[in-house]
Amino acid sequence: MAKKSSKDRKSLADLARESSLPARTIRYYIARGILPPPLVGGRDAWYGPEHAERLERIRALQASGLTLAQIAWQLADKGGEENLPEASTWWNYTIADDVVVQVRSQMRPWRLKRVRRLISQMAAELKAAEAEEESHAR
Amino acid sequence: MPVDTESRGFSVVDSESGKPIELAMQELQLQGKLLSVGARLMVRHVFRSCERKPLEVIYTFALPRDAALRQFVVAGESFRMRSKLKSTEEAVKEYEEGIQQGHLATLARQYGDGLVSLTLGNLMPGETVVVLLEVLAGVEAHDDGIRFRFPFTLAPSYHRQARAVEVEPGVGEIELPENEFGDLILPHYHKDAAGLHEVGFSLSIAMAQPITEISSPSHSVRVKTGDGENSHVMLSTGHDVPNRDLVLDVATRISQSYVLAGMGKDEKTRFAAVVPSHAFGETSAAPRRVVFVLDRSGSMGGIAIEQARKALAACLGALAEDDEFGIIAFDDRVEEFGSGLHKGDKASRDKAQRFLESVDARGGTELAAAVSAAVKVLGGTAGDVLIMTDGQVAGTENILSVARAGGVRLHCLGIGSASQDRFLTLLARETGGVCRFLTSRERIDLPAVELFASLGRPVASEVKARVEGVATWSIAPDPASAIFAGTPLTLFGEREAGMARLVIEWSKPQPGKLEVAMDAVQAGVGETLRLLQGSRLISDLDAKYTGDQSDRALDRREQQRVGDRLQALSEAYGLASRRMSLVAVVERAGETGELPKTVVVPVGMPQDLAMQAYFRRSTGAAHATGAYPAPIQPAMAAPMPSSAPSNPLHDLLVTSQSAVTRASRAVLSAMRPKPAAVAPDRQEEGAPEDALLDLARQLESDGGMPGKGDFERMVRSLVAVLAFLIEGHTSSTGAFRAHVQRLMHFLETSKFPASSAQHREGLSAALAWIEQGNKPNWPLSELLAWNVDEAWKRIMQIVAGGA
Repeated sequence: MAKKSSKDRKSLADLARESSLPARTIRYYIARGILPPPLVGGRDAWYGPEHAERLERIRALQASGLTLAQIAWQLADKGGEENLPEASTWWNYTIADDVVVQVRSQMRPWRLKRVRRLISQMAAELKAAEAEEESHAR
Repeated sequence: MPVDTESRGFSVVDSESGKPIELAMQELQLQGKLLSVGARLMVRHVFRSCERKPLEVIYTFALPRDAALRQFVVAGESFRMRSKLKSTEEAVKEYEEGIQQGHLATLARQYGDGLVSLTLGNLMPGETVVVLLEVLAGVEAHDDGIRFRFPFTLAPSYHRQARAVEVEPGVGEIELPENEFGDLILPHYHKDAAGLHEVGFSLSIAMAQPITEISSPSHSVRVKTGDGENSHVMLSTGHDVPNRDLVLDVATRISQSYVLAGMGKDEKTRFAAVVPSHAFGETSAAPRRVVFVLDRSGSMGGIAIEQARKALAACLGALAEDDEFGIIAFDDRVEEFGSGLHKGDKASRDKAQRFLESVDARGGTELAAAVSAAVKVLGGTAGDVLIMTDGQVAGTENILSVARAGGVRLHCLGIGSASQDRFLTLLARETGGVCRFLTSRERIDLPAVELFASLGRPVASEVKARVEGVATWSIAPDPASAIFAGTPLTLFGEREAGMARLVIEWSKPQPGKLEVAMDAVQAGVGETLRLLQGSRLISDLDAKYTGDQSDRALDRREQQRVGDRLQALSEAYGLASRRMSLVAVVERAGETGELPKTVVVPVGMPQDLAMQAYFRRSTGAAHATGAYPAPIQPAMAAPMPSSAPSNPLHDLLVTSQSAVTRASRAVLSAMRPKPAAVAPDRQEEGAPEDALLDLARQLESDGGMPGKGDFERMVRSLVAVLAFLIEGHTSSTGAFRAHVQRLMHFLETSKFPASSAQHREGLSAALAWIEQGNKPNWPLSELLAWNVDEAWKRIMQIVAGGA
């Protein structure tokens, strides 16, 4: 899978400015399932070119007289990539070069705290294991 | 498959679709105080999230007439914050930054057509937040009280570019064009409002005159009577559903002129003056030039169009031969009765009646085109237009612009259970007319006749007002250009302290002048009067603001000026407008930058309005099999009924509507002529008003009742006068005063050469008896059941002092 370049990454404010749509409208489209959720969740959520393209598409379908519900049905009829499930966002914790832990973002704070502690422990253990492996290799 | 282990028990489901309804706003309570010149309201919104992720909740509602938002307080378990008034641009930016930072952000923003979005961002799972919104609003003032309307739901509106569809059984979606309405998001409309948020109200009432009655044609109410001028009214049931406006009528004794005054926070004396129409004198009897405009759009379907037709027929009965009239029926096409204006003679009125019988409800609501057509019918010269409409149309600022340019006076008779009261009030006021707004379950015909009686005949015009006795004063907005019977003049202003009097002068129909003492100052009312004046001024100016997106540089500059004045007014009075919004951001600690899920609070389809009037089922693939697509929002894992539950309230409403429609058809059917009786088309068991409307409709162009010869015409006309008198309508009061005037004029001036001298003498005696203020105490139905000879005998007996 091709890696996204930083210029492809847009904040919600950038996407709103470039598409001339208010941020609230974009959030509403995501909630309605006609626009994919951000590519990364959390405070630093970002959006890619596919979001801008989809917004253009929605605009064109609206101009043809369709409501958002009809647009959702039309996009769903295409199947495959166009068939959007409900949006959900996840945090990525890269705890080693080859290990990423994903945590669903809408987690209760006390549980998130515990999960983070476990991830920290895991990261520390992996780091210790790597160090041990390196020393054995020498 | 994931299993939701947190949802248990029963959930609210829509009775049409059987699908669960997840409420983000649970409750809306209206509190506050009604005065004779306006209302100061607190609207309590309770938001609670049942979701597992943060929510952004949008609640869109319509402002009442002459309304503006002052402030809100947002409160939760551990916080309470008051809103700030900022330019809309700054407020939106602050809101968005708050959302981005994971804070609880709240924004109240006004759009065109008096629509407001209250948006609450980052409502956390399980959290409850209350938003208490302060609203200043106007009231419909009458000489003998007020009518107050508050929108508990939002009527869908016609717009040529609107997109609308029934997204699932009983749920409609409508979207307005972005270039005109920006990011306004309208709610989904539920045919069954029973599962939606609860509404209620509890209002105190303080009138300047003793209260004689408090009632509501929309809700069941409980009234706590205080002293003469004060009272309290609340919903008698615990709560209700959001599918109609609250409408409250407060009747008072007929007032004399009075001034309410008090000290504002700015240390100035603020006042509101109310001068009843009877203080100005009598109307003129000059011939009238009137165009009736009848909304025949799909939303008027059912009883509304039948009532409007009947009302119009009764208005035609009050036309004199030297009056001129035209009729326009419109939906998305404009249809004119004949061409231009017609004389008010019998032949024209009969033809007009046949035209009305062909008018059925259909199509959209191109009101601007209808107003332009009415202006054309009047030939570019002065005249009056009476519009009967539900006013359910979007883009009202543009219609107002067309109406202002027309140069004719528009009077509005609104019909509907969800308010377009604000728009129709502006439409009438901006052109010098008056507006009455009725619910679809009230009689429309009598108020139409009442309104028509004063049409084209103001009791005063070219009205000017000033304050004498102090050096510094101001009155704003300017006084109404014309005063009509039944509607008082209301003025707002400020003055310096000292002995002062209000002086009002007018030059037509006869020059006149009156003075009102302004010495009394009440405690605690000054700031409210200041805010009510501000909300009225902002509402008037808002109606002229169409945004500065026009293609023409001249229009853009003009709109920029209007926008700047709007902003200045907002800042001066501390009230929101389209240029200024209310915002509050409650900071939350911790990492909560999750994108909230945006949900829109649904509302009930206005009572008595069919879904099909606005929403058609989609012709998309998902509907080809008759099935609706999967719900957009995920369903809760609560037990679901296998079929939609029956809804007793819905059943009751449908039944009662059908009953009313049947009754109305029966009345229309009973209006067919049966020549043998004195009142040939009376209704056997109908309301007295139906019988009076029948009589009104039959008036000949000379003002008398029809008949085979002089004697029959004389007796039937006399019977008609007595019938109106029995029901309280005289030549100077009541909805049928124009009809009584015409009948009396006919009886007094006709020679009746073919009748005997004895009959003519009898008539003179009867007229003298009536002039002395007498009236019989016969039951109306008995009077109308007598044949001509019997009626004459009974009348002569009572005039001679018999029973």
